Amino acid sequence: MPEIRVTPLGAGQDVGRSCILVSIGGKNVMLDCGMHMGFSDDRRFPDFSYITRNGRLTDFLDCVIISHFHLDHCGALPYFSEMVGYDGPIYMTQPTQAICPILLEDYRKIAVDKKGEANFFTSQMIKDCMKKVVAVHLHQTVQVDDELEIKAYYAGHVLGAAMFQIKVGSESVVYTGDYNMTPDRHLGAAWIDKCRPNLLITESTYATTIRDSKRCRERDFLKKVHETVERGGKVLIPVFALGRAQELCILLETFWERMDLKAPIYFSTGLTEKANHYYKLFIPWTNQKIRKTFVQRNMFEFKHIKAFDRAFADSPGPMVIMPGYCVQGTVGHKILSGQRKLEMEGRQVVITPTLPPPALWNPCWAAGVMQVEYMSFSAHADARASCSCGQAEPENVLLVHGEAKKMSFLKQKIEQNSVGKPRRGRACEGGFSRACADRARHLAEALSTPPRGQLLYAANGETVTLSTSPSIPVGISLGLLKREMAQGMWAGHAGWGGAAAGQVAPQTAPAPAPAPASQGYSRMPRSPGSCRHPIMKDSNFRLVSSEQALKELGLAEHQLRFTCRVHLHDTRKEQETALRVYSHLKSVLKDHCVQHLPDGSVTVESILIQAAAHSEDPSTKVLLVSWTYQDEELGSYLTSLLKKGLPQAS
Amino acid sequence: TPSLIMDPECSRLLPALCAVLVDPRQPVADDTCLEKLLDWFKTVTEAGMGEGVTVDFPQRPDRPSLLLLQENPCLVELLFRVLKAHDPRPRVLSFSLRLAGLFAAQEDCFQYLQVSLSRAVDTIFSLQGDSSLFVASAAGQLLVHILALAMRGPAEGHPSPQGCDWPACAQKIVCHVEDSLRSTATPQVTQALNVLTTTFGHCHSPWTQGLWVRLSPLVACLLEKDPIPASHSLVDLLLSVARSPVGSSDCGLWETLAQTLSHLSPTQAGPLALGILKLQDCPQALKTQAFGVLLQPLACVLKAAAQAPGPPGFPEGATGDSITVDTFLSSKSACVGLLCQALAHLELLQLLPQRPSPWPQAPLLRAAVAILRFCHGSAAPTSDVGGHLCAVLAGCVRVQRAALDFLGTLSQGTGPQELVTQVFAVLLEYLTSPDSSPMVLKKAFQATLRWLLGSPKAPSCCDLDPHTQLFLGELLPVLRKRLCSPCWEARDSGLEFLTQVTRHWGGQAAFRHALLASEVPELTGQLLRDPESYVRASAVTATGQLSSWGLYATPTGPEHPEVQQESLFTELLHILSTDSEGFPRRAVMHVFTQWLKDGHADVAEDLEQFVARVLQAASQDLDWEVRAQGLELALVFLEQLLGQPGSRCPYAVALPEAAPPATLAQVLQALCRVQLFEFALRALFDCDRPVAQKSCDLLLFLKAKATPCGGPQEAGASPDVVSVEAALQRWQAGEQGQPLGELEPEAVMAVLRSMDLEGLRGMLAKSSDHMEKSPQSLLQDMLATVGVLGENEADCY
Repeated sequence: MPEIRVTPLGAGQDVGRSCILVSIGGKNVMLDCGMHMGFSDDRRFPDFSYITRNGRLTDFLDCVIISHFHLDHCGALPYFSEMVGYDGPIYMTQPTQAICPILLEDYRKIAVDKKGEANFFTSQMIKDCMKKVVAVHLHQTVQVDDELEIKAYYAGHVLGAAMFQIKVGSESVVYTGDYNMTPDRHLGAAWIDKCRPNLLITESTYATTIRDSKRCRERDFLKKVHETVERGGKVLIPVFALGRAQELCILLETFWERMDLKAPIYFSTGLTEKANHYYKLFIPWTNQKIRKTFVQRNMFEFKHIKAFDRAFADSPGPMVIMPGYCVQGTVGHKILSGQRKLEMEGRQVVITPTLPPPALWNPCWAAGVMQVEYMSFSAHADARASCSCGQAEPENVLLVHGEAKKMSFLKQKIEQNSVGKPRRGRACEGGFSRACADRARHLAEALSTPPRGQLLYAANGETVTLSTSPSIPVGISLGLLKREMAQGMWAGHAGWGGAAAGQVAPQTAPAPAPAPASQGYSRMPRSPGSCRHPIMKDSNFRLVSSEQALKELGLAEHQLRFTCRVHLHDTRKEQETALRVYSHLKSVLKDHCVQHLPDGSVTVESILIQAAAHSEDPSTKVLLVSWTYQDEELGSYLTSLLKKGLPQAS
Repeated sequence: TPSLIMDPECSRLLPALCAVLVDPRQPVADDTCLEKLLDWFKTVTEAGMGEGVTVDFPQRPDRPSLLLLQENPCLVELLFRVLKAHDPRPRVLSFSLRLAGLFAAQEDCFQYLQVSLSRAVDTIFSLQGDSSLFVASAAGQLLVHILALAMRGPAEGHPSPQGCDWPACAQKIVCHVEDSLRSTATPQVTQALNVLTTTFGHCHSPWTQGLWVRLSPLVACLLEKDPIPASHSLVDLLLSVARSPVGSSDCGLWETLAQTLSHLSPTQAGPLALGILKLQDCPQALKTQAFGVLLQPLACVLKAAAQAPGPPGFPEGATGDSITVDTFLSSKSACVGLLCQALAHLELLQLLPQRPSPWPQAPLLRAAVAILRFCHGSAAPTSDVGGHLCAVLAGCVRVQRAALDFLGTLSQGTGPQELVTQVFAVLLEYLTSPDSSPMVLKKAFQATLRWLLGSPKAPSCCDLDPHTQLFLGELLPVLRKRLCSPCWEARDSGLEFLTQVTRHWGGQAAFRHALLASEVPELTGQLLRDPESYVRASAVTATGQLSSWGLYATPTGPEHPEVQQESLFTELLHILSTDSEGFPRRAVMHVFTQWLKDGHADVAEDLEQFVARVLQAASQDLDWEVRAQGLELALVFLEQLLGQPGSRCPYAVALPEAAPPATLAQVLQALCRVQLFEFALRALFDCDRPVAQKSCDLLLFLKAKATPCGGPQEAGASPDVVSVEAALQRWQAGEQGQPLGELEPEAVMAVLRSMDLEGLRGMLAKSSDHMEKSPQSLLQDMLATVGVLGENEADCY
C-alpha cells in the first residue's frame, strides 16, 4: 500500500525551528529548515540526526523547500547545507531568495556579535548556501526530477511567502507554511488552486486564538501611540519579525498623514532598512492597493519615517509595545510574563505597567521606568482561518507549528464542525458584540469543509503515516468504451475505481477509470470479445481490446486449450456416440450454439468433443473434450455433464 | 560557577515547578525550557562524576547529584508520578525519562532511585514503542543505563551467558530484548537492536561478552529472514559489536559480518562495508569482500562503458555482479541512489589512513570519467546496460555532483597521463556546457582547481608542465565566458576559482603569461560594478589577489604597475565608502589588510596615507565586521611599527618588550597622524561587542608596549586630556557624533593609563544574555509562564 510519511523534526508542538520531513511516492522532501531562538547550542537547529541515520543527507533528500524568509523557517539552512553537508537543491520564491541572506546575516551577527559564539556559520557559508537555491515563480510547476514536481502559491503572511504543492504521480501534499487568510495593509490573502491533495500540512500557532478584528487592534495601537506622543512621551516598538515592521510603518505613516502629526518616527537602521529595499522592488508580491498606487507613489517610500540615529535617544521616554511572542531566555519574555524588575547588562530597569506616560527613561537603562503593552500584530492565520485554505480540498489534514494543547483544540473545532465560544484576545477592547458575531460567522464558514479523511497532529519526532489509494489515469478509446458499455460491463464493475476519481486521458471519452494498476489485470472480466488489456507507454496507461494490444505489441495470440477424457460405456460406433452426444447437448444447452461437424466432431462455442474407440475395451468409447481458457466454466460444466453418462436411446 | 549549585532560591522554586509538571491541567512551558532545565541538571550531575565517590560518606557535599535528590524529594516524586501516570504528556514524559537517565548514570543515585526505577521497568518497556522518537529513544537509553548499572558489582567479571547469576533486573531486560528479537514485528526488532547497539557502544565491561554469546544466535536468525528486518539497525549493531572489545575476541562475529554483507542488497550493504573497512583489526578476507561491495557499482559502470576489453579493472571480487546490474536496471532512483552512495563511500574511504592498499586509482578514475560522460550524454555505449545508464543518467544533477566531488578527491593520487588528459577533457566539457547547473558548475570548478594544483611540475624548471599549460590555454576562454554569465552563481564561482588559482600560481610564468593574454583580468575589474553584491565581493577579492601578483591589468598595460595600483586602490576605497552592501566592503577590508601584511610595494610607498584613508572609511561603516576588520588592519600596522606582541609566546627569547622611547614617540606621532587613536577609542564603546573587544585588545597591546619605559611623561590634567576624557564619556553615553580633533600623543597615553581596560575586557567577555542564563532565571520564567500562558498566546512571527 503506498503511503505518505510526515515527521516534524522541529515544528511539531513547538514554536520555532520549523522543519518537516515528508516522504511521498518514494521521494523525500524537507519542508523548511528553521531555527529556534531559545537555544544557543546545536539544539537551536532541527534534529537532523533523524535523517542522517538513513545515510548521507544528500543521498536521502530529493529537495528542500523554504516557505518564507523568517528565521524559524530558514535560519538553519546554512548550517544544514554547509556544515551538515546537504548538497541538493533548495527551492524558494524570489523575494525569499533576496531577503533570506539579510536575515541570516543578522542572525549570524546576533549569535557571533551579541552572544560571542564561535563555530557559527560564516558569511561565506551563507553565500555558498544561497548558491544552492533555485528560485521559483508562483504557479510555476517545477520539475525537481522525473517524478517529483512542486508548485508555489501565494500565502500572504510576509513578502514572498508561499504555500507549496508537492506531487509525485497521483499523490500530493500541500504545505501551507505560515499563511494569512485576510489581506493586511501590504499583502494580499493566501490563495491556492482547486486541488485535492492527499494531505494538507498546516500551521496551528493560533489554534485557540480568535483575534478581534484587525481594525480594532490597529485603532487601539494608534490610540496608545498617539496618546503617548501627545504627552511628550516616546514609544519603542521592538518589532522582531520582518514584514511586521513594514506593516506597522505603513499603518503609522498613513495615520501621521491623516492626523498631520509632526513627531518624528524612526526605524532602526540595518535589517528593516535593507529589507525595505526589496519591499520596494517586489511590488508585484504585495496587495492590490499598493500595486495600484505604486505608479504615483511607492508605499514603501516613507515620508514620516526616517532611519534612526543614536543621537536621538536622549530624554523622557518610552512606552514599549511588544508586537509579538517572545521566547524564554529573552528580556521580552520576562517583561511579558510580568516581571517588574529586570537586570540588563548589569543595570537595573524598573517597569511599571500602571504608571501613565510620560515616565522617566534613562537611555543607559540606569533606573528606567516604563509602561508595557502587549498587542498582537501577528501575520498568522487564526482559528477561523486555519483549515480553510482557499480552494484546497484535502483528504487529510496534519497540524504543525503550535503547542500540543492548541493543536488538540483546533482538531476538536474542525472535527465538531461547529462554532466554539471564542476567547477574547487581550488587545481586544471595544466593539465586542459585533466582533463576536463576525467571528462566529467566519468560523462557521471556515470550518464548513472539514477534511474527508483524518485530522492528524504530530509532535516533534513523531512520524505520521498515511495510506493512500493512488488514482491512476487510464485512457480508453471511445469505440471500445461504447462497445463495453453496450455489453453492460461497466455497470457491473462500478466499484472499480475505489476512492479514485475518474481521470481519463485527454484523447479519450470521459469515463470512470477502471481499477488501479495493482489490481487491474486479474479483475478483468473474462467474457469473450470484451477483453481489455492495459498498455503502459510513456508513463500513460491505456485500455485497449485484446486484438489491438496484440497488434501494438507485435505478438501472435497463443491458444491455450484445456483437455479432458470422458469414458462412456457405449458399444456403438464412434460416429453414433458422437451423434448421441450432439442430441443430448442440443437438448440440454438450449442457449448455446451446438454443432455437429462433417468430420463427426461436436462443438459448443469453443468446446470441441470427439469420440474415439477405446484401445483395449471395445464396449467403451472415449470422449476427447477440449476448450479454451475463455470457456473454462462451460467446459467444466460440459465434462461433468458428460461424465454422468448419456440418456438411454429412446 | 553559580549554575552548579542549588541555591536556596532554586530549592524554593523547584517543588512548585515539579507540581506543575505532574499536573495534567497545568500548561507546561515549551520544550526549550525543559531542555534547559535538563542542561542544568546535567551540569550538576556531571560536576559530581569526576569526584572520588566513596560509599562511606554518602552525604558528602562533593556528591551533588545524590544531595540534590535527597534534598529535593520533589524530583523523585516527579519521576515516580510521571512514570505511573496513565496518559502522561509526551514532553513531560520525555523530560522525566531523560532526567531519570541522568541520575541513574551514577551509582549512588541509581541505588537511591532503584526502588522507583525497577518498578517502572515495565512502563519503560512499553515506552520504547512510543510514537514520539524522543520518548522512545529516551526510554531505550534509560534501559541501557539500568542494565549497565545492574550488571555492576556482583555480576562484574565474566558472568555465565545463561544469566543464572545475573541480577533480576538485568535478567528482565535481557529477556525482554530476546523476546523482541524473536518478534515478527519489525518495530520491536528495531527497538531491541537499538538498545543493544547503545549497550555495546557504551559498555565495555566483560559482561557484554556474555551478553553477545547469549544473543548472537538470535541476531544470526534475523539474517535468514527475507527480507531482513530492520537491516539498518542490524548494520549499526554489528558494527557497534565489532568496534567493542567483544569484536576482537569473537571469530563468529567476522563470519556473521561476511554473511550479512552477502545477504543484504547492494544499497543496504554499502554502509556496512564502509564500517568494516574503517575497523582497525579485522581479517583481510572480510576487508576484501567489503571493498568489493563498495566497488561493485563502479565496476558495473566500467563494464557498461567499455568499448573493447580495456585495461585491467578492479581487483577480483568487484566485477560488476548481476545483483548490482539488476539494481541499476530496476529503476532510475535505485540506480542513481546506488551510484551516489558508492561514490560518497569511496570518497570517504580514500581520505582514511586505513584505506585498502593497493588503491585502484586508475580504474576509479576511469569509472568517474565514465559516469560523468554518461551524465553529460557524451558516452557512446555499446552494451545494453550502457544504453540504460545513458538514458537514466543523462542530465542527472545528483550524480554529476557526487561524481565531481569524487573526481576532485581522486586528485590526491596520480594516474597515467592518458587518463589525466581524459579527466581534464571531461572537466572542460562540464565547464563549457550550457546545461551545467550552477551547483554542478561550482563543483566542476572546484574539481578542476584540485587537479590543476595537484598536477606535476615540469622537471627542468619550476614552471607548469606542458599538459597543464595546454589545458590552461583552453580553460581561460571558458572562464572568461563564465564571468559574463547571466547567472550570478556562475560568475561568482568563476571569480572564486580565479582567486584560488592566482593565489597558488601567481608566480608561475606560464600562468602569468596565459592570464595576461586573456581578457580575464579586465573582466574581473568590470565585475567590481556587478549588480549582485556577492559577485562584487568576490571580484574585490579576485582583483586584490591579481594585483598582489602584479596581474591586475588595465588598458595602460602591465608596464606601469604603480599607476594601476593607485587606480585599483582608489576604486576599492570607493567601494568601501559607497557600496550599499556589507559583503563587498568587508572584502575590501580583507584585501587591504592582506596588502598591508604582504608589504605590497605600492602600499608601502605612502603607508601612513594608506592607513589613514582606510581607517577613516572603516570607522564610519555601519557594518560591524568592517569596523572589526579596520581594527585588525590597525593592529597589523601597530605590529609593523612596534613588533609582534612577543609576551604571548612563552618560548620566545626574552627580548626587551617595550619599544625604546625615541621610537615610541615617533610611533605615537604616526598613530596620531593616521587618527588610529580616535578610531580605536571610539570603537571601545561600539555597540557591537566584537568591535569593542578588538579595540580593547589593541589598546592593551599599545599600553603594554608603552608603559614599562614610561613613554612620554605624564601630561597631567592638561586641556588635551580633559577634552579626550570628555569625548570618551560622551561616546560611552551613546553620542557618537562629536569628533575628537587633533590629538597629542601624551594626552592619549595619559588617558590610556587612567582607563581600566582590563576591567572593560572582562565585561565585554560576557555574553549579552548572561543574566538570563542562570537556573534561577529559568525556574522563574517557567513558573511565570504558568500564570500568563493563557493570556499571551504564542505570537511567534
